Amino acid sequence: MQNDIRRLLDSAAAAAKEAEWIGLRRRRTSASYYMARDGAFDQAIAGVDDGVMVEVLYDGQFAYGATPDLSPEGVARAAESALVAAKAAAGRGVHRFDRSVRPAARVSYETPRIRKAPIAPDGVFSFLIDACGALKAGDEIIQTTSMVEIGRYDYEIASTNGADVEQSLHYMGTSLQAVARRGDVVQLRTANGPRGLTRQGGWELLDAAKLTEDARRVGAEAIELLGAETCPSDRRTLVLMPDQMMLQIHESVGHPLEIDRIIGDERNYAGGSFVKVSDIGSFQYGSKLMNISYDPTVAGELASYGADEIGDLAEKRLLIENGTLVRALGGLESQARAGVPGVANQRASSWNRPPIDRMANLNLEPGDTSFDAMIASIEKGVLMRTNRSWSIDDYRNKFQFGCEYGTLIEDGKLTRTVRDPNYRGISSTFWRNLCAVGDAGTFAAFGTPNCGKGEPNQVMFVGHASPVCAFADVEVFGGGK
Amino acid sequence: MTKDFKKRFDAVAARALGELLPGERGAISYSAELSAFMRFNGGKVRQSGSVEQADLSIKLWKGAKTYSFMLALSGDEAEDDERVAEAVGKARALMPLLPDDPYQAVPEAAGSSDARYSGSLLPEAEIPARVLGPAAGLDFTGVYSQGLVCRGAANSAGARHWFQTETFLVDYSAWLPNGRAVKSSYAGREWSDAEYAKRIAATKRSLENLGVEQIALEPGKYRAFITADALAEVVTFFSWNGFGERGIRQGESAYIALREGRESMSPKFGFSQDFSLGVEPAFNDDGELAPERLEIVSGGRIANTLVCSRTAKQYGVPANGAGEDEGVRSISMDAGDLAEADALKAIGTGVYVSNFHYLNWSDVQAARVTGMTRFACLWVEDGRIVGPIKDMRWDESLYNMLGAKLEAVTKERHLLVASETYERRQVGGSLLPGILVDGLSFTL
Repeated sequence: MQNDIRRLLDSAAAAAKEAEWIGLRRRRTSASYYMARDGAFDQAIAGVDDGVMVEVLYDGQFAYGATPDLSPEGVARAAESALVAAKAAAGRGVHRFDRSVRPAARVSYETPRIRKAPIAPDGVFSFLIDACGALKAGDEIIQTTSMVEIGRYDYEIASTNGADVEQSLHYMGTSLQAVARRGDVVQLRTANGPRGLTRQGGWELLDAAKLTEDARRVGAEAIELLGAETCPSDRRTLVLMPDQMMLQIHESVGHPLEIDRIIGDERNYAGGSFVKVSDIGSFQYGSKLMNISYDPTVAGELASYGADEIGDLAEKRLLIENGTLVRALGGLESQARAGVPGVANQRASSWNRPPIDRMANLNLEPGDTSFDAMIASIEKGVLMRTNRSWSIDDYRNKFQFGCEYGTLIEDGKLTRTVRDPNYRGISSTFWRNLCAVGDAGTFAAFGTPNCGKGEPNQVMFVGHASPVCAFADVEVFGGGK
Repeated sequence: MTKDFKKRFDAVAARALGELLPGERGAISYSAELSAFMRFNGGKVRQSGSVEQADLSIKLWKGAKTYSFMLALSGDEAEDDERVAEAVGKARALMPLLPDDPYQAVPEAAGSSDARYSGSLLPEAEIPARVLGPAAGLDFTGVYSQGLVCRGAANSAGARHWFQTETFLVDYSAWLPNGRAVKSSYAGREWSDAEYAKRIAATKRSLENLGVEQIALEPGKYRAFITADALAEVVTFFSWNGFGERGIRQGESAYIALREGRESMSPKFGFSQDFSLGVEPAFNDDGELAPERLEIVSGGRIANTLVCSRTAKQYGVPANGAGEDEGVRSISMDAGDLAEADALKAIGTGVYVSNFHYLNWSDVQAARVTGMTRFACLWVEDGRIVGPIKDMRWDESLYNMLGAKLEAVTKERHLLVASETYERRQVGGSLLPGILVDGLSFTL
C-alpha cells in the first residue's frame, strides 16, 4: 500500500502518549460487480474503500477512532479521539484487558491464484449474456439473471508492541438465477443460492464452460418445478446437499458457538445462544458422526486467512468432535472474558467497525458413506437442495429453513421432484439425529459474503464446506397459504 | 474531518460533473457521517469509539453505456479532487467495453432541496456515564450511537439535494436472570436526561411482568395483539420481494396474486410512502424526487407500486422517484379505531406480541412468512396479563395476517426510526400502529 503504516503509527503514538498500547488496522477494499438480465446489460459497478482504525488501550480499556484520512494528521486526530473514548469508559468496561489480546504477530498472507490477470468487462459480459441464454430453458422462463463479482481485501496491522500483519484476500462470486411461471405457479431456481458460489481465488474461478452448464441445468429445473407436486407435510428422513448444509451449519452450529453470543454481547441484536460456557468440553451437540472444524487453511474457501484482525495466528481447530463440543468460536478477547479456549476469529467488516467474533470457515468433516449408499438406506425421505429461506430464534434453537428443489426418496430410490420444500426443528435435537455423513466424494465448499451481526452492524464473508448429510425424523412441509 | 460536509459535497459534485465531456452525463450520491458508538453488555462498556467517513457514488452515461463507481473520500480537499478525477478517467476508458444498456434512464430532474436538522447531543467524554448511569442495577445491553449524518445527490441536469441530521439512539434491552427481557429505545435530536430516565423507569416496570415462570404454548392458532415494534419487523418485508414494479413483473414479488386480484388484504389495511415523517430525504441516488406521499396499499388493494426510472423505461410506466431497488421508504401505515389501552381487553385470551425476530419467507408466492416471538411477549387471559411465554415460531401468510384474520388496527401510531448501521448509520423510519389478529399460526 502506498502509505507507510509504521509512520502513521508514530503519529498516533505521539498524539495519544497516555495510551499504554496503540494499534493501527488499515483495510482497503476494491470490488467490481457485473450483472446481466434477460440476456442484456443490467449493471456494471466498481468501488474502492480505504481507511484505518486506530485502537488505544488505556487503563484496561480499548477504544477506537476510525478515519479515511490516511495523513499523519488525520491518524493523529483519530488517536486523540480514541483516547478520549477509552478514558471515558475506563473502569466501566466488561473486562480489564491488557496487551496479551493484541499479539505481536508477524504474518504475511495472500490468496493463492492461478490466473491473476483480469478478464476485460466485454469478456465478462460475453459470459454473462451466454449464461442468460443457457438459463432460458423455455418460454416459461420469465426472468434470467447472471452476475459476477470480483474483489480483494488488503489488510495491514501495526502496533506499538511490534505486530506486523499484511494480508491480501482475493475472491470471486458468481450467481445464476432463473424464474419460471406457468399460470399462477412461479418458481425460482439458482445455482447454489444467491451469492453462495463465492470463493477465494483468481480469474480461474470464472469457469465459463462449467458455469454455462450449471445455467442450463438451473433453467431446466426451474421449469421442472412448475409441474412438480408440493413437498409433503410429515416426518421423514431429510437428506441435505452441501449447498443447504452451508446454511444449516451456519445458523445452527456457527452462531450458537460464537463466544460473544454465549456471554451476551449480541443479546440486543442478533441474539444469544442455547450453549453455555460450562457446556464447552462436555455438551453432546450432535450424533457421534458430527465433527465440525474451524479451518482458515482450506485453499479457495471464502474465509481463509493467515491471522485474524487482532493479529492472532489462524490455525485449524476441531470444535465438535464425535458429537461433543470441545471448543467454541471466540477470539482472544472472548477467550480472556470467558476463560475458555477459542480460535483466531476476531474480524471486522471493514476499517470503520471494531473486530468481533465471527465464523470464518466452519466445516463439517467428511464421513464414510457414499451418496448412493446413503440414499439406498432410506425408506422414506426427501432430499433438499439450495437454500432459499432461513429463520431461527435468538438462542439458535427453533429453526425453519426452506430450499429451492426437493426430491422424494422412496424405498431407497430418488423418485419424484417436489417444490417449495421446507423443514423445521430444534438445533441440538436435529444434530443428534444426524444419521449419515457423506464421504469425501460428496464434499463441497461454498461461501457467503452476507453474514450480519454486531452493534454497530457488520456484514462479513464466511465459508462453509460439508459433505451430503442425512437426518432422521425431521418435520418437512410444503408451500401454500 | 470537516463538519461542513455540504461544502465538501458541493466541491466533489462540481469536480465530478465538471469533468464530464460533451455527450457524457452523470449523477452523484454522497453520504457522510461523524459518529460516536458505545456498545454495552451487562451495563458495562464492551466497545466504544468514533467513526468519520464520507463516500461518493458516481453514475456515468455516455451514448448507450451506463457505469457506476463508488469511492471512499479522505476528507482532504486536494486528495479527494484527485481521486474523483482519476475515477472519472478510468470509467471513461472502461465504458466502451460494456454492452449497450437497453433501459438506460438518464435523470432529467433538475430540482433542489436543502434540509438540515441540528441536534443537541452528549459530549463524547460523558457518553458512558450518562447512558449507563441511569440504568445502574439493570442487566443492560445494546448500543448507543450519535452524531451527524448527511446525504446528498446531484446530476448533470442540474439537480442538487442535501439532507443532514444530528441524531442519537439508545437501542437497548434489559434482562432478568431467567433470560426474559424488555426491548426499548430512546431516540431523537435533543438529548434529555429526564426523558431518558423516564424511558428506563418504564423499562423497569415492564420487567415486573416477566419475573414469573414462562408459559409454554402448544402449536396452534392464537389471538394476538402485534405491537408497532413487532410490526416493524413485518414491514421490512414490504421492501423485500415487495411492492417494486420490476419484482412484480419479473416474478420475484410476494404480491403478484394481490396485483392480479387473486388475493386481497383487509379493507382495514393500508400504507403509504410518506416523506412528511421527516426522517429521510425524498430524493434518490440519481437526484430524482419522490412525491411527498404515495399510497401503496389502500383498502387492502394495491394502489401504486414503486417504480424507478429504469423500470419505467423498460415497461413504459410512469416513474415515481423510487431508488433502483424499488424499496418502500418512510412507511406510514393507516391508523384504525382500537385504542391501545384496550389491547389486552381486545385480545381476551391470547398473546401480546412485543417483538418479532428473524422473519423470512416460507413461500414467497403465497406471501407466507415465518418468524419468532422475542423479548417480552405475554400470555393474556380474559384481558389480564398472566406471564411471559416461551418463544414461539409462527408461520402465516400476510394475506391472512393482514387480510381475513386482521380484526383491528390501533388509533395510536408510533414513529420507529431506523436503527441499522451496516456500513453506515441509516436514516429513515416508519409510522406504525399495532394490530389485532385472530388465529395467528404458531408452529413450533
